[in-house]
Amino acid sequence: MKFVSIHDLLKQYLEEGRIKVDKSIHHELTTYHDPCNYARKSERAFGHGYYEEPRWVVQQCCEHFVDMYPNRANNYCCGAGGGAWASPYVEERIFYGRVKAKQIKDTGAKLLIAPCHNCRDQIMKSLRKEYDFMDVEVKYLWELVADSLIIEPREEAEEEE
Amino acid sequence: MEPLLLTKRERRKLASQYAELCLTCGTCAGGCPVTGVDGLDVRKVVRLAVLGLDQEVVDSKFPWVCTLCGRCEYACPMNIDLLKLLRSARSMRDRDKVPGVLHKGVEMCLKTGNNVGIPEEDFRYLLEDLAAELAEELPGFEVPIDRKGAKYLFTINSKEPFAEPEDMMFWWRILYAANESWTVASKNWEGVNWGLFTGDDAAMKEIVGRIVQNYKELECEYLVLPE
Ligand code: SF4
Ligand code: SF4
Repeated sequence: MKFVSIHDLLKQYLEEGRIKVDKSIHHELTTYHDPCNYARKSERAFGHGYYEEPRWVVQQCCEHFVDMYPNRANNYCCGAGGGAWASPYVEERIFYGRVKAKQIKDTGAKLLIAPCHNCRDQIMKSLRKEYDFMDVEVKYLWELVADSLIIEPREEAEEEE
Repeated sequence: MEPLLLTKRERRKLASQYAELCLTCGTCAGGCPVTGVDGLDVRKVVRLAVLGLDQEVVDSKFPWVCTLCGRCEYACPMNIDLLKLLRSARSMRDRDKVPGVLHKGVEMCLKTGNNVGIPEEDFRYLLEDLAAELAEELPGFEVPIDRKGAKYLFTINSKEPFAEPEDMMFWWRILYAANESWTVASKNWEGVNWGLFTGDDAAMKEIVGRIVQNYKELECEYLVLPE
């Protein structure tokens, strides 16, 4: 059985030129959230943390990038991991997220990329409101790529061949 | 206060073989955003476990407000398997006392193949409908359901068909642009395994097993790991 992570897949498409993206669409300062599962926990479980691949992908699609501090293996969880997004302990989840909120605000970024459904929902739908940074846009990593695509309609591509 | 009989230690289940090595240094708790919530923190959880006070940990809400983020374990100088300990505390809860909808989601997934119970016909209809919409912009686009021999098998986070169906189009656009060979299974397509969160190993295995079965039956080359 073979697996592939979405990070490797996106990176591969870009590297091989199978998809093309336009950086100028996302010109605002952009930061990246390391989800626990893809970053630190993947490093512990499989010996490889996805730190650099998503950063590379983000920087193919964005002109200006800044890291949060701390980041990579020492990044703080968004506060909604481990099922917390679906749990009844709402107050505790928001309290947990205060650290993430500060990290994001401290970067001054206006666009945040999160490659995880939970993290994206916690930050976009909850923390932005609770900690007052509605001016920061939140996108999935694949949403960023999809929004940056220069798509050639398929018929044309086939005619060229 | 009742004296604590250390004979309790003989019956402890929670403490791993490494928990004894804890230096009580507090590095773990020092970097955890929920230290102090419910009067506990991860260092104290280790202490309780080492003393055999398993039930206090199991009954507390700490293992559930903890997000199993692993920051504590990553920092621990003694390499203690804190995540295993915290997750075991979740496993030891009676299933009807698992907070919120998590366990119901697990049961729903076992019964219907996804955490929110979307029937197969509705799922197919939704995908076909959305695909037709996208095809207006991207000529020839379709969502290949149960496509045998596809290179990549994708699972789906049930949140999307349930509440944010248009978000599925992000990946669809990318796959169209890359002219990729991919597929989605019509059954057991759930990509979110809540058994992982509730500490339910049996359910987790069953759910993973069904995805593996899809992968084999559809003769795909790769399974795309869900986020
Ligand atoms: S960091 Fe490790 S050794 Fe230190 S208190 Fe926590 S579990 Fe014990
Ligand atoms: S895994 Fe739990 S206890 Fe450890 S740092 Fe994360 S939230 Fe805190």
